[in-house]
Amino acid sequence: MNKQTQQILKRVLFWVVIVFIFVYMLFPFYWAINSSLKTEAQLQMTPATFVPRDPATLSFSPTLRNYGAVFRNDKFISGLLNSAIVSGITTVVALSVGAFAAFALGKLRFRGRTPSLYLILAMTMFPQVAVLTGLYAVINALGISAIPGMILSYMLFTLPFTAWVLTSFFRELPMEIMQSAQVDGATPFQTFYMILLPLTMPALVTTGLLAFIAAWNEYLFALTFTSITPQYRTVPVAIALFTGEIARQEPFGEIMAAAVLVTIPLILLVLIFQQKIVAGLTAGAVKG
Amino acid sequence: MSKHKGISDLAKREERLAYWLLLPTFIILLVIAFYPLGSVFYNSLTNKVFASDQPVEFVGLENYSRLLSMTIRRLPPVLDASGNPEVNPETGEPVYARSLDVLPREPRRYREAMQFSFLGNRYVVGATDRDFVRGIFDTLRFTVFSVVLETVLGLGIAMVVNTKFTGRGAMRAVMLVPWAIPTAVSSRMWQWMFQSTRVGFFNVVFQGLGLIESPIPFLTEQTWQVPAMIAIDVWKTTPFMALLLLAGLQLIPGDIYEAADVDGASKLRQFFTITLPLLRPTLAVALVFRTLDALRVFDLFQIVLAQSRYSMASFTYYQLTNNRAMGYSSASSVIIFILIFVFAVVYIQLLGGVDAE
Repeated sequence: MNKQTQQILKRVLFWVVIVFIFVYMLFPFYWAINSSLKTEAQLQMTPATFVPRDPATLSFSPTLRNYGAVFRNDKFISGLLNSAIVSGITTVVALSVGAFAAFALGKLRFRGRTPSLYLILAMTMFPQVAVLTGLYAVINALGISAIPGMILSYMLFTLPFTAWVLTSFFRELPMEIMQSAQVDGATPFQTFYMILLPLTMPALVTTGLLAFIAAWNEYLFALTFTSITPQYRTVPVAIALFTGEIARQEPFGEIMAAAVLVTIPLILLVLIFQQKIVAGLTAGAVKG
Repeated sequence: MSKHKGISDLAKREERLAYWLLLPTFIILLVIAFYPLGSVFYNSLTNKVFASDQPVEFVGLENYSRLLSMTIRRLPPVLDASGNPEVNPETGEPVYARSLDVLPREPRRYREAMQFSFLGNRYVVGATDRDFVRGIFDTLRFTVFSVVLETVLGLGIAMVVNTKFTGRGAMRAVMLVPWAIPTAVSSRMWQWMFQSTRVGFFNVVFQGLGLIESPIPFLTEQTWQVPAMIAIDVWKTTPFMALLLLAGLQLIPGDIYEAADVDGASKLRQFFTITLPLLRPTLAVALVFRTLDALRVFDLFQIVLAQSRYSMASFTYYQLTNNRAMGYSSASSVIIFILIFVFAVVYIQLLGGVDAE
């Protein structure tokens, strides 16, 4: 085999892998889209069809009824807004507070570093149901409403995550970068936001995205804390409580339509931010 | 010592700065975690009933012993009239005594949690709360398989989307789709695909390929339940691993690979001598959080399997909501906490990561 055919073979293999990942990641989502375009009767057809088909003639016949029902459901729309607010603020707070902590834990020398790390992690080692009643009491005692209540309680799983992940990334940066900045007369804080943060941009964006999605998807806390104030329900709760406009039983088609709609903003978000997940900055910085 | 005064001053300043930086984190965690977690520990030692006037009594470790008491007994083979071991004519397997007859009933009643064969003998594992004991084993199995698969797949995907190719940006968005769908919804999606009749995608496909004779009830048949959960979780959470590892790969300076290329190191060799060691801290932290999440898996089990099979956390949930057994469910939460803590410490000791000096 000469070099050229080897090259071609490699490219083909590479694209086969890409296609495989593409199908694996998207097929269940495609199945949700497929189901969202079916009526109740079409959903019950056997065997299940790969596109919505008419039960009698088997011709291609999608329906937009489910989407119409979701858009007419104002709880879904307000849920989107609530989710955006809650997840957005949660991410910003968890990322900035976590980055401060990570700077200390990853780059500074002080007594009690290891216990601090374990203590922070221990906060997130309990199942959510276990802390639910206690947390509810705390939110009530603080006298805050559902939205800040959710933001605060989401810190329980986002803050340890951002603090730990950022600590591990900050540690990766060579100490020389910080020392040379200090020699140049930079205060530790200047070193932090002018050198450390820009150099770990991929890590910050990644951590932020993962925290955002975790908050966006949270269900149990949101369900509990909005039980007496339904206007603050987030979108997973709103979807779970769909009673169905068309179907009498469980509105499966509508749930799938909502699932598709709720995923689109996140895909856009990832498309925008993924450009930041590139190296380049570090490559040059470590030299010398 | 006075010679080092300047240095120790600097060290003191650094230490003070560190405490200031950690302060916001600890204030937030103190406000939201101190009381809830403290009350979990406290309640686990009581017989508290949720939303009830029943007086709360301190019961010590009673809840824990009810959750965890286990015993292993040998099941003797059943002998036929002539004194030979009886054999089931249909399966050809020897017949053993009923577990009911060998498990102790006093002071507490033990029920069969599982059976196994070892060195030609048949044993039964009895537990005072067999649902919880089974929940522990199922959750551990779920955790080991799903975390291993997610790590391998996630690393593979991260390395693919780390190379330059047209459509890389779109691919990175595509790879995050499963993680972006709320679990409450994606679990329903998969439940639908796993339907026991030919309404379900998997039964249609497997039958179309001639792999199975009749539809499999994936979610109700014992042997398929946990594998189905693993399949759903691997699909759902591989993106989390992939994205985290991608960020880790980005922080490895490219010139190391250039140097390795010049030295003529093969790509495979580069993977084991450069990529893996440099990725280790990221891998450690990703594993810690994945394992932690897998051990307290809740939504997935609660939505798809409800009470037909428990994870440790969904067991806790049903104890609280159905039986309102707050003391008992708190004790199971503490057991989950201890298990997770052990896992986390082992990982960090083995992999180094954030804790290493």
